[in-house]
Amino acid sequence: MIRRTLAPFALTVLVLIVAVAAVLIPVALATPDPIGMIDTFLFGPFRTFRHTGNIVEMATPAMLCGLAVALMFRAGMFNLGVEGAFFLGALATAAIVILVPLPGWAMAPVALAGGMIVGSSACVVPGVLRNRFEVSELVSSLMLNFAVMFIGLYVVNSVLRDPSAGAMVSYRIPADARLPRIVEGTRIHLGTIFAFLACIAGSIYLFRTKAGYESRIVGANPGFAAHLGLPIRSVMLRAQVLGGTIAALAGGIELLGLYQRFSWQGLPGNGWTGVVVAILARDRPLLLIPSALFLSYLQVGGDLVARNHDVPNEVVGLIQALILILVTASAITRSPRLLALLSGKRKEGHA
Amino acid sequence: MTFLETIAHIVDLVPVLLRVTTPILLAALGVHISQKAGVLNLGVEGMMLAAALAGVLASAASGSAWVGLAGALATGAVLGFLLSFAIHVLKADLILSGIALNMLAAAGTTLVLYMLTGDKGMSGSLSSGVLPSLAIPLIADIPVLGRLLSGHHVLTYLAFAMVPVVAVLMMRTPFGIRLRAVGESAEAAATAGIDVARMQIAALVLSGLLAGAAGAFLSMGYVSWFSQNMSGGRGFVALAADLMGYGSAWGTMAASLLLGAADAFVISLQGKGIPSELLQSLPYIVPIVALVIHARARRKRFVRI
Amino acid sequence: MAAEPIIRFEAISKRYPNGTEALKGVSFSIEAGTIHAICGENGAGKSTLMKILFGLERATGGTIRIDGQPVDISSPRAAASFGISMVHQHFSLLPSLTVAENILLGQEPRRGLLVDRKAARERVAALAARYNLEADPDARVAGLSVAAQQKVEILKALSRDVRVLILDEPTAVLTPPETDELFRRLHGLRRAGITILFISHKLGEVRALADRVTTLRAGLLSGDAAMGDISDAEIATLVMGTTKTVPPLREPHGFGAERLRVDNVVLRSLAGADRLDGVSLSIRAGEILGIAGVDGSGQRGLVSVLTGEVLPHDGDFHLDGRSARGCSTAALRKGGMAHLPADRFHQGSARTLSVVDNAIAGAHRSSRFSRGAFLRVREMETEARRLISDFSIRCPGPRAPLSALSGGNAQKVIAAREFATAPTFLIADQPTRGIDIAAAAFLQGRILDMARQGTAVLLISADLDELLALSDRVAVLYAGRITAVLDNGPHLTPERLGPFMLGLEDAA
Repeated sequence: MIRRTLAPFALTVLVLIVAVAAVLIPVALATPDPIGMIDTFLFGPFRTFRHTGNIVEMATPAMLCGLAVALMFRAGMFNLGVEGAFFLGALATAAIVILVPLPGWAMAPVALAGGMIVGSSACVVPGVLRNRFEVSELVSSLMLNFAVMFIGLYVVNSVLRDPSAGAMVSYRIPADARLPRIVEGTRIHLGTIFAFLACIAGSIYLFRTKAGYESRIVGANPGFAAHLGLPIRSVMLRAQVLGGTIAALAGGIELLGLYQRFSWQGLPGNGWTGVVVAILARDRPLLLIPSALFLSYLQVGGDLVARNHDVPNEVVGLIQALILILVTASAITRSPRLLALLSGKRKEGHA
Repeated sequence: MTFLETIAHIVDLVPVLLRVTTPILLAALGVHISQKAGVLNLGVEGMMLAAALAGVLASAASGSAWVGLAGALATGAVLGFLLSFAIHVLKADLILSGIALNMLAAAGTTLVLYMLTGDKGMSGSLSSGVLPSLAIPLIADIPVLGRLLSGHHVLTYLAFAMVPVVAVLMMRTPFGIRLRAVGESAEAAATAGIDVARMQIAALVLSGLLAGAAGAFLSMGYVSWFSQNMSGGRGFVALAADLMGYGSAWGTMAASLLLGAADAFVISLQGKGIPSELLQSLPYIVPIVALVIHARARRKRFVRI
Repeated sequence: MAAEPIIRFEAISKRYPNGTEALKGVSFSIEAGTIHAICGENGAGKSTLMKILFGLERATGGTIRIDGQPVDISSPRAAASFGISMVHQHFSLLPSLTVAENILLGQEPRRGLLVDRKAARERVAALAARYNLEADPDARVAGLSVAAQQKVEILKALSRDVRVLILDEPTAVLTPPETDELFRRLHGLRRAGITILFISHKLGEVRALADRVTTLRAGLLSGDAAMGDISDAEIATLVMGTTKTVPPLREPHGFGAERLRVDNVVLRSLAGADRLDGVSLSIRAGEILGIAGVDGSGQRGLVSVLTGEVLPHDGDFHLDGRSARGCSTAALRKGGMAHLPADRFHQGSARTLSVVDNAIAGAHRSSRFSRGAFLRVREMETEARRLISDFSIRCPGPRAPLSALSGGNAQKVIAAREFATAPTFLIADQPTRGIDIAAAAFLQGRILDMARQGTAVLLISADLDELLALSDRVAVLYAGRITAVLDNGPHLTPERLGPFMLGLEDAA
């Protein structure tokens, strides 16, 4: 019985191993030291405390972006504005701490709140357009991401830019605004705790609140929601407002947690990582935590390989893309034969 | 400004408009075919990007821009096939597979570029070719008409020539009729003895070919290099163009020209004191606004029961 | 030697994996060049038999002979190779394609790479002329009337060499003049040598059209005769059966005040099966009003009006004296309406959600299951457990997804949810269709309990035994109109209802 309930989980693990191997082995063979590269990738992240800490640092935005995506996907909304919301949330947070004179203790909370409001628009605008005009939230959010990026870069360049810094970066973020580090020898910051709590809160929201319940019903079967008389449109919009707010907050937290200045020259890609994290976690908020940690582990492995073996960390992007396809491939993950094999069950009459 | 000067100014803008419309139109026609077959190609952005790099690599390796074009087309087609493989064989989700393809292309192009050149951002060290522009012999000498009709890029001619070709393919050939049947109701098409999977594979391969041509235009149209993420969301703009095209190749062309005009407008305003980042955001805002207007117009045609 | 029958069914049986026996050894013949009607109630097995003949399903026993030769019909394509074609109740046309493109889909005439439009037009014109079914080859199907679409569908079926044409309730979507027109065309087809298998509920139509009629009842052949040798009353008896298997469960009791009142509701729908043409009804507290009628007589339209899904074009309905026209589903539910939908998986439930989630949905805003924004999850689970035991729902547990339950148990979950709201007005739409006998009997008992407690019940069922066992009164719906409202009692039998349901009589 236990084996049978664990079979889907085991299958997912198997799929992950295949995805990693399918990318890593060919790339390694193209390097002078294949064994060394694979060793660095797989075990490097655990060799020093600092690198292990990196995994947790990177999992912070991954968890939050994954949560944003999961909440929207759960309600049946394919809104991909998380990428733009993350970027804009970070930028707005930076703008507030740099431009608005605030007492030190108020900086982070006020800036993060402002970042949430401004940044969430990357998800909310497509949501409203879907709600009012039935414009595909998928297409409009994809394009809005680019618009948001260019407008953001304009703000950086014209308002926040520090002329004394060489590159196109903002003024320094005041030390008071930064989120406190909580683990000696790493850059793990307060935001990480917040991300863990957010995943738990997300789980409570989806499974223990009226609003979350309604969004699950709408996402699972809009016809059923209509039969029950639920306000489908507002449930859908609410999911996108929530998703955008969380993604924007993730951007703000990332900025105040790890950065000295706002220095992104383009979309950072965390939103797309969030999509992979959410899909891997099958849109379950609690599973976002291991899912984000795993993808961050790959990211740290990729960074180490990039530094030591002259292989760009885009290797990780390939693995992520492969995971996204394989995890959603129902021919694999719902294959009765594979599941039976893993649960040790003999062939039975029914599927 | 005199009347003639205004005319001359507009005539000057036409080549720019056609140039910026070319990749959008090629990609949008590809999306159009896939959408008609019921398998919206969300991976068009990634296909363009991968094809752009493949074109540069094939061209640099062979010394011929035409071989580069062939490489770009082949890359698009192969990716189209892979997407249909993911959907039909692995039974993966259509939208997520498209997103995955885009991620694959973004990471894969950078990786390949770095492994071959040692540079992550640009392919400057590779000497790749540029596909030519064509002067049409007699017409080129006619004052205004020559400027309008002659001297464009070979892929620009191809893109606009593909509009009637795709229109005829979809509306007048057995292949097109079956493709549309599959997209409209796979069940009904199957009852008529049509192999649904095969039609959708064909649609995505064709879609990939067109996206490949769009990619080739990016890296071999007027420049001779590939740069990281050089597709810059044009694939997504093409998706919007298709949504606005009222389901026809000609409509898709009109929508592509409209969205291309936003691009051209931006180019004409460059260096006139407007911050370039704000200008650059316009080509992405215009499609969103256009989609809203389009959706409102479409909605008026429905009568509420 | 006498000509072999074109089709001969020999002891055809069909047993589904879940144990349902749809056909139990049915044998009869169809003579070439005749119009042969097949009659039976829903679930009698006629659709299954036709699906087997058309290659959509495989028989689990018996033989089909064509021209005396045993054949194996494994797919619609195989059926086509034997010259068998079918016009489905739900058309398989593609609205955005033209008539010619639809008819010749998959067999387009070519000229070079292109479709030879001229040849296509000519082929369609020739086909239309040959069978006297005019159609404009260049018109888009989306712009055609339902009757015109049906002609296209028939032409499409005839476009390949066809000897046998199966028509599955072709008149369900047509108006009376369109029906007359269709019948003239079908007689023309018979003259052209086509054998027609005509599936219908409507006796008047069978009489007008068929040469011979075969009746099925509960998977068995109940009759087979030339039309000249059999009366309508006899056919009705063969279709409906004479003996009631279930004694009336109803005890006499008094009724309360009027709870639901429907006044002259008109719904002009695109789908003919949803149309309502001035329906008026009244249900009192504690009363069960049964709606009898063949499928597609307007039941779906009536339910979608009463649940607030669509706004009627004319007329009004009142719940407990208050006008409810224009009320949303949510408002109607708040006003005491509950609805057990016919489509239990598209409307009634979400299969991927758990039993608890399905059992409580809708009631989750009440103070019993929520406090502020939060759900009282333990309370929900306790209630779900109570419903599971109260309704004897067999399931792995309250947290199992609904998809893990059998159809009968899933329907019990839905019923448990709807009944638990203590509604003043309940719509039970096909409450026991397709579920096992034990679960059906259980749900019927619960519906009676609801009425006993004062709920006004609108019961829609294709199962006449169920209607007669539960209802206090029976209203017959035919072509969007109420053709009779009859008090239930020993005198009310399927034979008495039959003529109203089949459109032969109209008491209204």
